[in-house]
Amino acid sequence: MTRYLFSRLGSALLVTVLASIGIFALIRLVPGDPVSVLAGPDATPASRAAIRAELGLDRPFWSQYVHWLGDLVRLDLGPSYKLGGDVGSLIADGALNTVVLTLFALVLASAGAVAASTAAVVGDKRWLDSLLSALNTAAVAVPTFATALVLVLVFAVRFPVLPAGGTPPGGFLAHPDIAFQYLLLPGLALALPAWAALTRFLTEALHTELRQPYVTTARALGIPRRRIVLTQALRNALPSSITVLGIQFGTLLGGAILVEAVFAWPGLGRLVEQGISSRDYPVVQVLLLLSVVVFVLTQLATDVIHAWLDPRVRLDSRVKGASR
Amino acid sequence: MTDIAVAEPLVPVPVGPVPDDPAPVRRPGLLHALVHGRGLVGLVLVGAVVLLGVLGPLLAPYGPTEQVAGANLLGPGPGHWLGTDELNRDIWSRTLYGIRADLVVVFAAVPVGAVLGVLLGLVTSWWSVTDVIAQRAFDLLLAFPALILGILLTAFLGPGLLTVGVVIVALEIPVFGRLVRTAVRTVREMPFVEASQVVGAGPAWVLRKHVLPNSLEPLTVQLAVSMSVAVFVEGAMSFLGLGVRPPHPSLGSLIKDGVRLLHDAPTFAVGPLTVVVALVLGLLLISQSLSEARRA
Amino acid sequence: MLDLHSTEAVLEIEHLAISFSQPRPAVEDVSVTLHRGEILALVGESGSGKSMTARAVLGLLPPGAKATGSIRYDDEEILGLPEAELNRIRGRRIAMVFQEPQTALNPVRTIGWQLREALRAHGTPSRKAATERAIELLRAVEIPEPERRLAAYPHQLSGGQKQRVVLALALANEPEVLLADEPTTALDVTVQAEILRLLDRIRERTGTAIVLITHNMGVVAEIADRVVVLQAGNVVEEGETRALFADPGEPYTQTLLASVLRLPELDEPVVEARRAQAASQLDHRSVPAVEFRGVHVRYGSSRRGRAFPAIADVSLAVAPGEVVGLVGESGSGKTTLGRLAAGLVPLADGQVLLRGEDVLAAPRSERRHLRRGLAFVHQDPEASLDPRYAVGASIREPLDIHRVGTPAERDARVAELLEAVQLPASYADRRPRELSGGQRQRIALARALALEPALLVADEPTSALDVSVQARVLELFRELQERMGFACLFISHDLAVVHQVADRVAVLRAGQLVEVGPVGSVFSRPAADYPRRLLDAVPVPDPARRGRRVKELAS
Repeated sequence: MTRYLFSRLGSALLVTVLASIGIFALIRLVPGDPVSVLAGPDATPASRAAIRAELGLDRPFWSQYVHWLGDLVRLDLGPSYKLGGDVGSLIADGALNTVVLTLFALVLASAGAVAASTAAVVGDKRWLDSLLSALNTAAVAVPTFATALVLVLVFAVRFPVLPAGGTPPGGFLAHPDIAFQYLLLPGLALALPAWAALTRFLTEALHTELRQPYVTTARALGIPRRRIVLTQALRNALPSSITVLGIQFGTLLGGAILVEAVFAWPGLGRLVEQGISSRDYPVVQVLLLLSVVVFVLTQLATDVIHAWLDPRVRLDSRVKGASR
Repeated sequence: MTDIAVAEPLVPVPVGPVPDDPAPVRRPGLLHALVHGRGLVGLVLVGAVVLLGVLGPLLAPYGPTEQVAGANLLGPGPGHWLGTDELNRDIWSRTLYGIRADLVVVFAAVPVGAVLGVLLGLVTSWWSVTDVIAQRAFDLLLAFPALILGILLTAFLGPGLLTVGVVIVALEIPVFGRLVRTAVRTVREMPFVEASQVVGAGPAWVLRKHVLPNSLEPLTVQLAVSMSVAVFVEGAMSFLGLGVRPPHPSLGSLIKDGVRLLHDAPTFAVGPLTVVVALVLGLLLISQSLSEARRA
Repeated sequence: MLDLHSTEAVLEIEHLAISFSQPRPAVEDVSVTLHRGEILALVGESGSGKSMTARAVLGLLPPGAKATGSIRYDDEEILGLPEAELNRIRGRRIAMVFQEPQTALNPVRTIGWQLREALRAHGTPSRKAATERAIELLRAVEIPEPERRLAAYPHQLSGGQKQRVVLALALANEPEVLLADEPTTALDVTVQAEILRLLDRIRERTGTAIVLITHNMGVVAEIADRVVVLQAGNVVEEGETRALFADPGEPYTQTLLASVLRLPELDEPVVEARRAQAASQLDHRSVPAVEFRGVHVRYGSSRRGRAFPAIADVSLAVAPGEVVGLVGESGSGKTTLGRLAAGLVPLADGQVLLRGEDVLAAPRSERRHLRRGLAFVHQDPEASLDPRYAVGASIREPLDIHRVGTPAERDARVAELLEAVQLPASYADRRPRELSGGQRQRIALARALALEPALLVADEPTSALDVSVQARVLELFRELQERMGFACLFISHDLAVVHQVADRVAVLRAGQLVEVGPVGSVFSRPAADYPRRLLDAVPVPDPARRGRRVKELAS
């Protein structure tokens, strides 16, 4: 297990470093020069050069990269070119909002998925299966921005019971009840496709587990079906569901860009959008790298949890070959 | 037959017709799934949208960017089925032309990405070195949520339909590459592949004769799924202003305009939204029926 | 004979019929009565309905199956009881053991947890009491260090130990009837012998009546008191074991018993088969079809120092036209050695010579040519043919790969090969799924012979087949081998099969060659201890010899 952990950690680090080089290079290839953006159309060559030197853009590529990496490690992200203020604090503010939103959606989606799929499998009722299947298809077929819109139209415009957008005025902790009201609509819109995907997967996985011979063994012992589902099938379906959850987390981050746009939610999604459109290198670089780091960490976490949940991996220090 | 000399002890072997002969049973193919039940509904939905798009220029009463004098932000009515927008343009006509933009993305970009991904996956996954490199690259590409990748590529190429197409191709290459890799890994372990390798079949033979035919079914299912995702990506990119450039319409940009004018013309977005949902739903139903038929 | 059972019936099955939506019912009309304390064997080939009958007793039929008739336990009707009622009987009154111990246990729960769960289902109150009972049960099924085993997961146990745990689960609530569905089929012979003896002892100790479902006549002869023979969902014959074996009444039973391959008695005078005598005159000075020179194979990554040997220092030669049987238990490396000859596993050390030429040292083009003289038949008839092609195309494939003749000539050759394996030429258009297991193995054989190989590697080619089908396929194999004169490495765990087809036999154990020699002498007078133990463990399809064997095993 320890060996496994180290090998996973190594490859995660490798992907991150490669990605950081790739991102740094890519951003420099993007057409449009930040210097001209900053200096404005009437700038003299001298003032352009001064800006260029100040930003460190006159140094060779590798020197710039190493310098940037050093800054990253010291968490000194420097000033933003265009959006104003310090990149670090811009991102920190946005990150808090996005993390709260996505985690809320993740919890909604996974709790809802576990509830729906176990209910369907334990109940074993035809109508329940059909209902869930229809709900599921609908949730997947309607785009996130459309769901978000409908939610706003119904719950904020037609029946104004919930706020139409923005973040809770006093922060998330001051008034949890108010914060919840602000979170509910964007969270729901974000969670819906993930819920659908997770439910579909988990239901399928539970049905597959119920066809396994160990379930027949348990049934032959007189253990009730409901108990088999809850204590055995679910536990067996968990590791692979964790992997799917990891993938869904990535999808949620992508969806957050749309939901943040509809709900005027000042998170990282909005920042990415603004950063790209205003060619603000430092912001975009860090954001892209952040998304890679989040992805790598999610993968790492799901792999480790997956391995931990499976005693065949956890307790086996030796890698077994195909023993015939 | 020659005289049979069996080693002792002599075992009397029952004589008779060819033993236990099950009657030929053919499994209904994937095509069967497409013209029945859910698959049929999906096919009709997608077919209807495709037909609207293809016949768009004939059906549309106005040009996509044609401004109709005096028709500002009209509601749905006999002259303008879906109303008009703030620039006096007929929304029904714009929707018909918008479908065409999405069809290009769905039926051109996705297959291109799929073919590239399949070829890349087939070739790289046979040798372990290229396999590791390709899989790492795929991981990296998949590391970006679709929209972030879209935003990044738009920064290079500028907004436009071509960019949307490139983004979808870039998205689909790793998806299909991985799928094919799984197929290669499974099929090459199969006894029938070993049997042909033993008599001298090389990688090209095995990939062409065994791996590809045996992975066509999962690939078809994924193709339908990817097409529905492509509709989403176009919608989302246009929604964020990264898609087709105004004044040209696409389903995504129409929905975006609808949202912008939500208070002045509440019914604006209904038409394009219905088309998007019909297209996505149809593709999903097709993929579901295909994968069910595969499992049966 | 042990006479533990009374004549009191504990389980009565009457006119049981089970049908699916398919036209033919799985079980047509089965009536079986089980008496207290007896071991009753339910025997039949695949499709006979023996497993379905057992599953019907506990209401464990697959969805869509409909059962009619009557099943009475203790004079109470239990067929068609609602799930909740059935759960009171399952495990408590009637328990069941399944064929595949690898998958019969939950992989992510400990042995102790699963035992406690079984006890809990029938109301063992406290966790402490359940743990104590679990230890007791593991001791009863003769697992060493039961206290420590409670915390173990299934993957940490061997196949035999897993089957013991499955037995412990079934016995947890002291059922009166135990349904054992092929409980030893997936196990090695030596482990099979242990489990069979354990079953017998459990019956003696607890008086549990056992229904033993099996296709193996040797197992039946070994422990069953009575036998019920099933065919295509009907009872063909029923009787006391010894009487039935001595004098089978029905033609089907006669055929079934006749198809069973028998081994010679140990320590009898060596009788070499006529074939083997001819084989001993084979010119062993000619270049061998395949020769292993001190070969080693390792699994796992050697770079990280975690490789463990699958084959260690094996030298063996197969003369042209000779059939060498490779036998051994699971993990012995017999399959690996066969795959090595076929070039399917990498060689760690040593040399593999095909017709005197080192395959790996040969240049690429030459290697392809050497490969032409090789063919491989796989164990699994399900997977050995590409489901996407008509079987004619599969047989043609080797000819296509080497571009032999014109397409028309290839098709003619396919027809010829089909005839050789005794299938009509019209079968060329069929898909694998439209053929039975035996037919598929015939096709696989035809494909293997398409290029007239000098060496055929056959990996358990008949082990997935019913005995009667197996007998026919083996006969066909022998006939083709004599006609075409190819050499063969015949891999099998079934000693009787190897005895039937091979000229010489090589016994492997843990990757090493234990003994090589002519079939007759190795099987009658093995020089090494291990082959003797293997042969001893093979159940003999002759109940008359049971008493003698029990004594032998006890000594």
